[in-house]
Amino acid sequence: MARITLLPEQFSLVEYDAAEVVAVVEEAAALVGFPTDVDVVVEVDEELFAPLVGCSADVVDGRAHVWISGANLEDVTRPRHFSADRSRLDFVIALLRAKDRLGPDFADAPADAELTLAERTAWDAWSEGRAERLGVPTRRQRRLYDYRLQHGFTDVADAVFDRLWAADTVTWAGIREACKETGASDRPAARVAADLLRQRP
Amino acid sequence: MKKMLPESELARDERFVRSDILARVHDPRGPRVAARNTGPAKMAVDRPAAAERSRSLMHGIFVGEIQALEGAGRTCYDFDDDQAPFALKLDMARQCWDESRHCEISVKLGDHMGSEIGEYTESTFLYQAACNPDPVLRLTGVNRALEGLAIDVFSTMKEFGHESGDPVLEFCEDWMLADEVTHVKMGSDWLRRLTANDPERLERALEFQRTVDKLFSLGGFRGETDENPIQLARRFRELAGFTDEENDEIAEVSAQATEEARRMASQALIGTN
Repeated sequence: MARITLLPEQFSLVEYDAAEVVAVVEEAAALVGFPTDVDVVVEVDEELFAPLVGCSADVVDGRAHVWISGANLEDVTRPRHFSADRSRLDFVIALLRAKDRLGPDFADAPADAELTLAERTAWDAWSEGRAERLGVPTRRQRRLYDYRLQHGFTDVADAVFDRLWAADTVTWAGIREACKETGASDRPAARVAADLLRQRP
Repeated sequence: MKKMLPESELARDERFVRSDILARVHDPRGPRVAARNTGPAKMAVDRPAAAERSRSLMHGIFVGEIQALEGAGRTCYDFDDDQAPFALKLDMARQCWDESRHCEISVKLGDHMGSEIGEYTESTFLYQAACNPDPVLRLTGVNRALEGLAIDVFSTMKEFGHESGDPVLEFCEDWMLADEVTHVKMGSDWLRRLTANDPERLERALEFQRTVDKLFSLGGFRGETDENPIQLARRFRELAGFTDEENDEIAEVSAQATEEARRMASQALIGTN
């Protein structure tokens, strides 16, 4: 099993149990078949709360680095408490994407902070589709809305979403192609940095 | 049937979870987040967590619609005809019908955005504004302050629907917005009629509205800058019968609330550190 390092080792602002969080990550790593010889660093930003969700998955110096907002792990109906059910899908998606980055198909993909919102939502759509096929409870309509905000509320965009969701294989070039097809590539660049929530004063 | 129902007795099924205001106030993360740049507060597709923020706000609108329905419904029943004329109750009954449709529309918009009923907590401060035992003050709290806020919220959401190219959101918000303008107009008309010979009561009602408006602007929630998630919709407010002076007053209260929130956040952060 991949070695998981959780940051922080103990939470002080929220009542998350570090061992419980690590257990969910380990379960996700096993489910996606994450390479056992690649270490995973999971950094939880415990300052952030709902609805300030966010997650990134990069490979740095041969290790997978997952940054995730505390809001993604939070039981929305019990603030400051961990929800394994709510966080499972996000960890599965993050590790699927980190695993993509370890392979040749995504070797050219820029770091998450450099991705456009359209590229990111297209990649997430494919990842959540894969998560569903792995047996993880997913929320297709929710993902579709996130995707539509970046690709448009059009039949063309929806058809591309369906294709991504169901695809067995997609490459980084395929993600970029999908963005061209929906017209998202021609949209103005975001005015806000994609990793703004990661930046701390 | 019981009259003057407190918010603690509102009927909800097991999906709904009431938010704990005290827990929120004492949440140690609050001042830390306030000190960070989390992007523009104003709704836009390229701000961080745009979709989740929209879903959360949509759910807030949904529970707000339920409470507006409950508030207007209680007014039909809580007062005798000598306290509140039958014609006023008839207007409130019509409003109940509108709010019921808004609840249904909001549920469908939640589905459209991929959220579920009860996914976010419910705060009942809107209904609390509808618990005043004086029908004139209640009408002012509900039909001018609460429904005035609804105008601002729907106008903001409609604009977001337009900007994001979401025809479903834009269309639905536009229709609900039209209803809210009518509700505020009813409140303004009844306030004038019921206080025609009682300037003191009128002043008390307007003072109550100012208090509620301040509550609704708390933490810089509403205002006219990019720091405010909900934008003051001056044009629609005018259509609903608010004067320029009244709109200026709300803008001023909102600006004070934004400044107050900023000051409290920095004080709390100093305390935390």
